[in-house]
Amino acid sequence: MPYRDRVRAELELSGLRRSFGSVVALDDLSFSVPSGQVVGFLGPNGAGKTTAMRAIFGLTDLDGGTVRWRGQSIGAEDRRRFGYMPEERGLYPSMAVGEQIEYLGRLHGLSGSQAADSVRTWLERLDIGDRAASKVESLSHGNQQRVQLAAALVHDPEVLILDEPLAGLDPSGIDAIGEVLVERARAGCCVLFSSHQLDLVEDLCEAVTIIDHGRLVATGTVDELASSGPRRLAVRVEGDRDGAWASTIRGASVSQVQGGEVRLVLESTTDSDTVLAAARSAGRVTEFVFDRRRLSEVFREATTS
Amino acid sequence: MRAIPYAIFAALVVFAISRRLRRRRNQEQAGPPTRQYYLSSLLGHTGLVAQREVRERLRGRFFRVITLVLLAVVAAAIVIPTLHSSSKSSQTVGVVGTASPALRREVDRLARNESLSVRVVTVADLETARLQLSSGRLDLVINGTTSILVNKPIPATDTSAGAQLARSLAATLGVQQTFRAAGLSTTQIAQITQAKALPIRSVQPGSNRSTAQSTSLIGVVLVFVMLTQYLTWTLMGVMEEKASRVVEVLLAAVKPIDLLGGKLLGIGLVALFQAGLVVAFALILAKAVGSDLLHGTAPLVVVATLIWLVLGYAFYSWVYAAAGSLTERQDQVQSLALPLSVPIIFGYIISLTAAGSGNASVLVKVLAFLPPTAPFAIPTWVALGGIAWWELVFSAAISVISTFGVARVAAAIYRRAVLRTGGRVRLRSLLAS
Repeated sequence: MPYRDRVRAELELSGLRRSFGSVVALDDLSFSVPSGQVVGFLGPNGAGKTTAMRAIFGLTDLDGGTVRWRGQSIGAEDRRRFGYMPEERGLYPSMAVGEQIEYLGRLHGLSGSQAADSVRTWLERLDIGDRAASKVESLSHGNQQRVQLAAALVHDPEVLILDEPLAGLDPSGIDAIGEVLVERARAGCCVLFSSHQLDLVEDLCEAVTIIDHGRLVATGTVDELASSGPRRLAVRVEGDRDGAWASTIRGASVSQVQGGEVRLVLESTTDSDTVLAAARSAGRVTEFVFDRRRLSEVFREATTS
Repeated sequence: MRAIPYAIFAALVVFAISRRLRRRRNQEQAGPPTRQYYLSSLLGHTGLVAQREVRERLRGRFFRVITLVLLAVVAAAIVIPTLHSSSKSSQTVGVVGTASPALRREVDRLARNESLSVRVVTVADLETARLQLSSGRLDLVINGTTSILVNKPIPATDTSAGAQLARSLAATLGVQQTFRAAGLSTTQIAQITQAKALPIRSVQPGSNRSTAQSTSLIGVVLVFVMLTQYLTWTLMGVMEEKASRVVEVLLAAVKPIDLLGGKLLGIGLVALFQAGLVVAFALILAKAVGSDLLHGTAPLVVVATLIWLVLGYAFYSWVYAAAGSLTERQDQVQSLALPLSVPIIFGYIISLTAAGSGNASVLVKVLAFLPPTAPFAIPTWVALGGIAWWELVFSAAISVISTFGVARVAAAIYRRAVLRTGGRVRLRSLLAS
């Protein structure tokens, strides 16, 4: 059973269309986000990811289509229970961290004491508990990013929509934020985040949705997408860094050459022995294995086809 | 001496405010406490946004500096004329030699005409009189039938009660002296000098016009300074929220109209608070120093100024907020601020000229019904007299209705423009999208 039919879709985007003049940002885009999973939202620059995320929050006028939450057309009250981290970070630069997150918590419907408690909890959790009284502008980029995430989490949202939450972070920052995303998903939250760091997405996400030119081009669990498609071989020839030997093989195309490892996509009629013979003619073969698709390959193949 | 209780009161207020600010600073150093959002229980999200705005604005140094400058300007406008005219409500008049009962009665009568209480004392000789005038114990001295002595020359422009008393004493005693020399009896002289003047009746109604005019001049300048200041806050505030991108986070939780409405309400409350503070300060100070700035129809001018300051802010703030949402840089703001301020400057100059000339021209009357210029034209027209109550109501109604219309358009522009980044947004492109 395909992924989209198997999971319980809580947040559904259906037939979204949006144009800015002659530029089509969303072209009948439909996908859904289940609860309990971290879903990666991928696409090349200008694919329409940010417009789609904004559409969830009603921040852009749609030319057509609907966003539904738990089967109902989404409303302002539903959105107030969502958490959002926009692509371009936004906080009041000269306002104290704690006060600012508390204010945002209040806007999302928390009482004064609930907001204050939640601020303390999240700042501690994200290792910036000692910066509550600091102005946002005095914080490092990484810590500002943590504050931004705390602002999205302060009201314990049912849905987390994060646009490039990992951009510009050091490994410890990526670990801290990644851990929180997985934890929220395990707690029953819908988590959708966009990123260009495909290795990280592969590590963090159960599922991915890929769009291009405002259209859905692939969706499914990481495992499904990785094991689907034509067979591929990873071959390494001693002393050969650029894999020139592979370019002439009939019935196989080079998917990627990285650090001397050549990844080949085989047509269904192509015999792997043909590839092995070609590799041997170039030198001593040190690696020859059938492999799954990497997410970067899924992405590239989906967005260039 | 009468100013002492007011000075003590003002000192207590300043002390209480500074103590509160110090305590708050200490609290902030200790860590952020839970913020109380009183307005939110009344107005929901709009109240929350408004309250944050009020707190941030009041906390800013700019607010404190501009308030102090305004208070200093108002204090100067009230105190300097009274210093210049050496106005006092009681006078001590010295008489060299003996003061006859007739002379005392005459001095009393003339003082009453000027609404002054007067104390007549005798002075042994001219030298003592001069000394007591120099030391301020005497305000003027009647030197027999030869002259009236004062400490400093009285300029022709001095219209204070003390100056008027000196002039009328000099004139009356001089006339009496002439009548005596002409051989009239004391009774005849008294009859002539106490003759009642014919009443002067004006065709147009109105009283104490010059005082109301001065008040309106100060009022028009205050409206201009405060409108300019608060509208700049609105413009910059919206622009900064767009530039810092915080607006996207806010709009994910709050409707655009609530966010914008809260922001404008917050800045408006700060404006009203500042205006109230300035007016209260002006009233207390005017009373303390015996200024005549608030006599006659002047209180009506003050009330009209405050009401149209609020109406003017309400109207313009939406326009400025919409303009702010089109920009995200200081230079873009400046290129928009100039054309927006043209009607403000126009209304200000026309009204100021009219208030100075004492004539409510047809242009002022027309401008009084146009929402962009009414905040300046109405106080001026009220001060100059001749405005009917229905005209005030009509002008206010036009402002309120226009404000609703402008708010709708501004909110639509704001909603579409505030998330568009990467350069100044053109209105044409908003309509096309």
